[in-house]
Amino acid sequence: MYAIFKREFLQYFRSPVGYVAIAIFSFLAGFIFYSQYASGAVSISSEVISLRSFFVVIVPIITMASFAEDKKRGTDVLYYTTPVDLFSVVAGKFLAALALFGIMFINVFAQMIVTVANGGIVDVGAWGSVIVFFFMAAMFISVGLMASALNDSQIVSAIVTFVIILIFQILSTISDYAKTAANAVLFSITQNNDLSVSTGEKIAGLINWFDPFARTADFRSGVFSVSALIFCLSVAIVFLYVTYRILEKKRWSQG
Amino acid sequence: MIEINNLVKHYGDKRALKGISFTVNDDEVLGFLGPNGAGKTTTMNIITGFLSSTSGTVKVNGHDILEEPELAKKDIGYLPEQPPLYLDMTVKEYLSFICDLKGLKKEDRKAQLDAIISMVKIGDVTDRLIGNLSKGYKQRVGIAQALVGDPSILILDEPTVGLDPNQVMEIRKLIKTLSKTHSIIISSHILSEIQAIADRVVIINNGKVAAVDTITDLSKRLSGSSRLLLSFQGPLKDVSASIRSIPGVANVVTRNSSDKLHEVEIVISNTSADIRASIFFVMAKGGWPIFEFRSLDPTLEEVFLSITSGK
Repeated sequence: MYAIFKREFLQYFRSPVGYVAIAIFSFLAGFIFYSQYASGAVSISSEVISLRSFFVVIVPIITMASFAEDKKRGTDVLYYTTPVDLFSVVAGKFLAALALFGIMFINVFAQMIVTVANGGIVDVGAWGSVIVFFFMAAMFISVGLMASALNDSQIVSAIVTFVIILIFQILSTISDYAKTAANAVLFSITQNNDLSVSTGEKIAGLINWFDPFARTADFRSGVFSVSALIFCLSVAIVFLYVTYRILEKKRWSQG
Repeated sequence: MIEINNLVKHYGDKRALKGISFTVNDDEVLGFLGPNGAGKTTTMNIITGFLSSTSGTVKVNGHDILEEPELAKKDIGYLPEQPPLYLDMTVKEYLSFICDLKGLKKEDRKAQLDAIISMVKIGDVTDRLIGNLSKGYKQRVGIAQALVGDPSILILDEPTVGLDPNQVMEIRKLIKTLSKTHSIIISSHILSEIQAIADRVVIINNGKVAAVDTITDLSKRLSGSSRLLLSFQGPLKDVSASIRSIPGVANVVTRNSSDKLHEVEIVISNTSADIRASIFFVMAKGGWPIFEFRSLDPTLEEVFLSITSGK
């Protein structure tokens, strides 16, 4: 696994990918921090939370090549014909992408130092937001790896990753629409206001169950909920396992 | 030693392999011959564990590739038709990644890499990006990759495809050197290449083994070439007629004809008699200068025909 991790991590810096991702992140983090700084009220937690909206751009850039490029260049042969096992390939690529996020985050840590040095505070909510950021990054990276394993085109895998992350990010909007729609449709059929409202609530609740942003909303105020982290971790593991199965299946493919 | 037993592979409705069985002995070079699409690459992919067969078994030095994949894969070095190279790594970085992947111990690594690098002669390019190397060098790096971990068996899928004649000669020489210490399976659709390198040949066609033969037996079977090529100056009709009158000649077919030079193919009915001398004297007597005169190499199709019809 270490072999794969090392290669994949260094690969980000052999190609423009690592630099582009770091540049985008640094720009965004710097921009948000500076506008806070200029207004005189710095909040690291709200900066980190704003940065989460850019997963949809940064994660596809990082993960799109990981398996798609291997398949295109025929280097995936190495994973199947050397004694390395496929799950450690998946894990190595996953950790490499996560480590790249670690590098990007040096920005935020530097900003924390600047904040403290200027008499600001980095409270427990800020650290909570950082923890949530990495758990969500883990989750979305595993989504990206799965998309990359599905096909051998980087563009297609980037688009698939983009769409899945986008859906996660707008889940609360989707659930609002679903609630209103269910409510209206049921009311027109049954004319029963209580039933239609409660069904709408249930559907919205079901959709919100999948919303990592709603689940982790309390972290910024310093309320650490383990179940939310376990949720992110579980989603990550499920997607990594699916990725592993996709790679494994290739060997058995009949078509 | 590799034992391959009754491999079958289906791709959807298509049956790519229909029951392939053969054995590769220790320290032998086995040529794997067949037209494109015969199932060479599929078979090799199954032997190396890249694909799984629908049914049948592959045993590498006694280890089943599916049941004990790690032990089996340790003994195999594989060079696929498209070498698995990372173009944006240097040769040195790439080979040390392969060492990591194959789990080589740190202390063995340097000695082994040095030996491999000098054997495949890539010492002068180790610090260059693989993407900037010529195709011949890329192929060498591919072979170096297969040699890492000191496997006893090498599987090379069309290692000379797309190389220029010089590079082809060099790769063949390299394979010859390697054959002293390794069992090698080498696939090709070029008959002469296999003849130059291999001890034994497995010919497959349409997903089945058409023949397993040693090179000497195969060449014996093909030695009486049944066609000669002759190019000359002179009246085409007269020459054809004179050659046809030589006993043993079945037919004379015009291949190419221009004002200056004619090229004909002479089909011989009785392959045991050598009629080349007679042809020479006929031409000399008529005062028709010969520009080229050689036996035509049997094509792969002819080998198949001769092998399948001989049984």
